[in-house]
Amino acid sequence: MNTNETTLDPGQETLLDLKLDELKRELSEHGAPAAMQAALVARFRQTKPTTTRPRFWWTPPIALAATIAVTSWMIRGPVPPSGQLVALAPPTSTLEGDPGPFLALQPLDRIAAEPGKRVVATEFPRALLADWGLPVSPDRAGEPVRAEMLYSADGEPLAVRILN
Amino acid sequence: MTMPPKDLQPELALLARMKQGDEDAFVDLYRRHKDTVYRLALLYSGSAAHAADATQETFVFFMTRPDQYDPLRGTLAAWLCGVARNIARKSVGGREDATDPEALADDTAPHEQHVDRDTPLERILRGEAAEQVRRAVASLAPHYRDILILCELSELSYAEAAQVAGIDIGTVRSRLSRARAQLAQRLAPYNMGAKEAV
Repeated sequence: MNTNETTLDPGQETLLDLKLDELKRELSEHGAPAAMQAALVARFRQTKPTTTRPRFWWTPPIALAATIAVTSWMIRGPVPPSGQLVALAPPTSTLEGDPGPFLALQPLDRIAAEPGKRVVATEFPRALLADWGLPVSPDRAGEPVRAEMLYSADGEPLAVRILN
Repeated sequence: MTMPPKDLQPELALLARMKQGDEDAFVDLYRRHKDTVYRLALLYSGSAAHAADATQETFVFFMTRPDQYDPLRGTLAAWLCGVARNIARKSVGGREDATDPEALADDTAPHEQHVDRDTPLERILRGEAAEQVRRAVASLAPHYRDILILCELSELSYAEAAQVAGIDIGTVRSRLSRARAQLAQRLAPYNMGAKEAV
């Protein structure tokens, strides 16, 4: 990671990054001892809240299900005639209109192959845009920027779309 | 390249289940973060045994006081790193009070008493070069080493590092810059092939 304020020349920067990468690579071979998980799980079992079911635990769910069933029956709409199927557009954006294309953060073939993608509106510091090679005015670096993120099912960012 | 913020929803769902006593959710969260926490503790303590203790203590703290994590203030990973940092720093004897921002003039060179000479020098890494870098990092002034570990080696964002260290982002940037300069200076003899210690 480079900083704007460093006094090192580019050659020193590169050399230092290589050294730090070497340390990170070797550190990545180290991890928490395997036995720790069992000890922590045992501790978790002691501390977790006890969940004893009340005697008539089943009455609220039954009552809720009955209410939903009756309400649905009372307000149900007209059934479309057979052959007229209603198609739902996939949720591609959280906004009205098309604010512009997404900027891919992962290879396109990988994004295409990801199951369960979803779009999430978010905010992050404008300075982050510089890391993606986008121009950022120093005067506005501290301001938040609104964006839509395309995330994989396990929360990994796949693409970004800047909204302002 | 710095990656954008991760979607917090999957972890928050696990956290909610864990708070209700779901053991699998705790194990999932533990597996996601255990190695990051352990490596960070290893860098702060310089000792595999201390790092293991600090990691265990961090997750015990997490399981007993999960409500102390506020998702609005950052990721769970950053919060766990902050907990582990505080525990690991205590475990090496609380010598690092000098990272208190009010106790330091940020743009000045560290006083001699701030330079940590007592970090355990047990050999941790197999690779000679990586071990040299680790020792050079350990020999930095604590307030510079702190930010270098958080930003460079644990890959926290500037904002997360600022929150963990209790300083503003500008100070994080300037300390990181100086930390890198100091580190480059300490590694220079190795770069030239010299044999003397850092």
